[in-house]
Amino acid sequence: MADDFTEFHDELRAVAGDLLAKDREPGWQELVDAGWVGLEVPEGLGGAGASFAETAILLDQIGRAAGATGYLGNGVLTVGALAAAGPDSEALLGQVARGEQRMAVVFGEFALDGSRLSGHAEFVPDAVGADHLLVLIGSATGAGLAVVPSGELTVAAQPVLDETRRLATVTADSAPVATVLGFADDRAAAVLLDRAAVAIACDSLGIAERMLTATVDYVRVRHQFGRPIGSFQAVKHACADMLVDIEVSRRLVADAVALVAAGGDTEIAAAMAKAHATSTAVAVAGKAMQLHGGIGYTWESGIHAFLKRAALNRSLFGSPAAHRKKLAKRYSTR
Amino acid sequence: MNPAEAEPAEAEETHHNPSDSPQQARFRREVRQWCREHIPRDWRVTQSGVDEAEFVRFQKAWFAELHSAGYAVPHWPAEWAGGPPTRGGDPVMSVENQDVLYQELAAHDAPRLVLAFVGIHHAASTLLVAGTEKQRRRHLPAILDGEIWVQGFSEPEAGSDLASLRTTARRTGDSFVVNGQKLWASGARHADWCLLLARTDPDAPKRKGISYFLMDMSTPGVDVRPIRNAVGDSHFCEIFLDDVVIPADNLIGAENAGWQVAQATLGAERGMTMLELAERLAHAGFRRLVETAPVDDPVVADRLAQFEIEITGLRGMCRRVVEGAAGGPADASIVKLYYSELLQRLTDFAVEISGPHAHTALTKPMSSGWESGSWVLDFVGSWEWTIPGGASEIQRSIIAERGLGLPREPSVA
Repeated sequence: MADDFTEFHDELRAVAGDLLAKDREPGWQELVDAGWVGLEVPEGLGGAGASFAETAILLDQIGRAAGATGYLGNGVLTVGALAAAGPDSEALLGQVARGEQRMAVVFGEFALDGSRLSGHAEFVPDAVGADHLLVLIGSATGAGLAVVPSGELTVAAQPVLDETRRLATVTADSAPVATVLGFADDRAAAVLLDRAAVAIACDSLGIAERMLTATVDYVRVRHQFGRPIGSFQAVKHACADMLVDIEVSRRLVADAVALVAAGGDTEIAAAMAKAHATSTAVAVAGKAMQLHGGIGYTWESGIHAFLKRAALNRSLFGSPAAHRKKLAKRYSTR
Repeated sequence: MNPAEAEPAEAEETHHNPSDSPQQARFRREVRQWCREHIPRDWRVTQSGVDEAEFVRFQKAWFAELHSAGYAVPHWPAEWAGGPPTRGGDPVMSVENQDVLYQELAAHDAPRLVLAFVGIHHAASTLLVAGTEKQRRRHLPAILDGEIWVQGFSEPEAGSDLASLRTTARRTGDSFVVNGQKLWASGARHADWCLLLARTDPDAPKRKGISYFLMDMSTPGVDVRPIRNAVGDSHFCEIFLDDVVIPADNLIGAENAGWQVAQATLGAERGMTMLELAERLAHAGFRRLVETAPVDDPVVADRLAQFEIEITGLRGMCRRVVEGAAGGPADASIVKLYYSELLQRLTDFAVEISGPHAHTALTKPMSSGWESGSWVLDFVGSWEWTIPGGASEIQRSIIAERGLGLPREPSVA
């Protein structure tokens, strides 16, 4: 099934890896030119007509590079949100794919009064620099997106210890709304949150893969007591455990990605993938720092950047405990 | 309540796998129907605390029942399994359908095939990979008729370091004379035949002087003594071999190539059998635990959710291995290690939350899985997974060395 895509996926992975190796912080225009932003946008609207399965490959590569890009907010979430709004959003989707409009998605506490929006959100990915913000709202007639010019809102950078993500607070105080796009499906907001959770899980999987590779490379060449430290069982068994946990994450993330791509019921698979992959990435990055020894603790080594990003990923869009709680709700109904 | 007295867990009839092809969905319905009609409803009760003779009778009857439906050896080539012809060497049942079969058997809480295990997996794969046509004709049909096999690999001084085995086989004309001692031979008391590793060249490097034999357990000089294990039963045995004569025709593969034959066939249990175990952990194990656990306690609920995530990941890994997706060189070890330790953690947690009453389940139903619901016995019994078949420490070294390319431990001079 996936075999037809294997070659395409390998190529996408290689191209993305090269791009991020040259520049770990590609800007908006670069993402547009590389076709990342329009990846899931239909070809008729100027996109590549691909699916979330391909998006997942880019997210994994960005995680591996701890890339500082606006891809999550300006690409993955924006395209997912607009697509959920049906035909009314086609023009906007096209503008986004072509790079004419930069948008970000805001999940928070917002209320619409007539055509005026008020409310507040924190930790909004990639909102700084966006032309319009897509604010999730619930109304008596159904959930949807309020499209608001960012000049009508207060958007302030919200620094976090992880310097590779750009988060912001967004405040609306009776801001005029340009358009309201209604969601076609009343589960759309939940599905969009699942998309965000799975996107983060893909990123964390990439972090964990990169940290394992870096650790294996290091313990093969670092000698102590006259032999590579990777020949000591205490070290090699720790590496084995990292691989095993990553393999488990990989299966859970693959299942969740396939469901997001197919438009299936993502709730359970997304919760499992987010809980496992983001916990594993923190554990693996932590073990990577440990096995790199003193070097691993230096700023220079860069391991800290992956550990901080992994820890932030774990906190964004629902902690592992919150996702497990979602799973556990099903137990008491039995 | 003694879990053995509980009603068999009802399969979720509403459960249908959305990823089923129309063909798989049809097959799933067929298997469900069969399960409802053929799984003895009360086997958990009737098989609790029974003696060895009854256990053997029940196992053989269940094997025959499965075989008559075509469900006992779905992984065998059609030529030997007795099914419709398939492309050369393809299993009589497609891998997709085997996947469905094991899901449904687990979901319907079917008894496990315990006695037939070595025969239908290790012996069969050894015969198919390395056996002569004559050896296959002698044994494969017999296995379907209920011939029981045991593995004679480990020895007192050759556990994790299997290649240092000391049992000798000395050639004399058309036969070999075998002397030595085998250990941890599971089910040896009931076995008709034994897969035996013995040293045929004491002067060769240790992996190059071993040969692989098929040994008739009724040969004079074979003496089986049960060893009582940690859970109190005696399916592990010692086999003493005193001038046992094995015809040279029963050598499998070339003389002194036994290690290579064993390496090629030892992994036979790691694919579909691991998937079956993973499905059982999900259904018999996890579902049973959820049904009895205090799920309104948030700490318990959180731990249960973590187990559900881990079991789902395990099932995904097993499915990928059986579907033959391009895998890593250490996949078999990863699956074995993860399953063993997950089983241990799950049964440990089940004991922890079940209170003192869990300790009153003094027996577990024979023929049940590794998560019978007699949690204390299941927990103690979980070391039967983390120790044999390559202990967890050995698996971690294999994963690190073969899977990640880390340097081997320097060898002791």
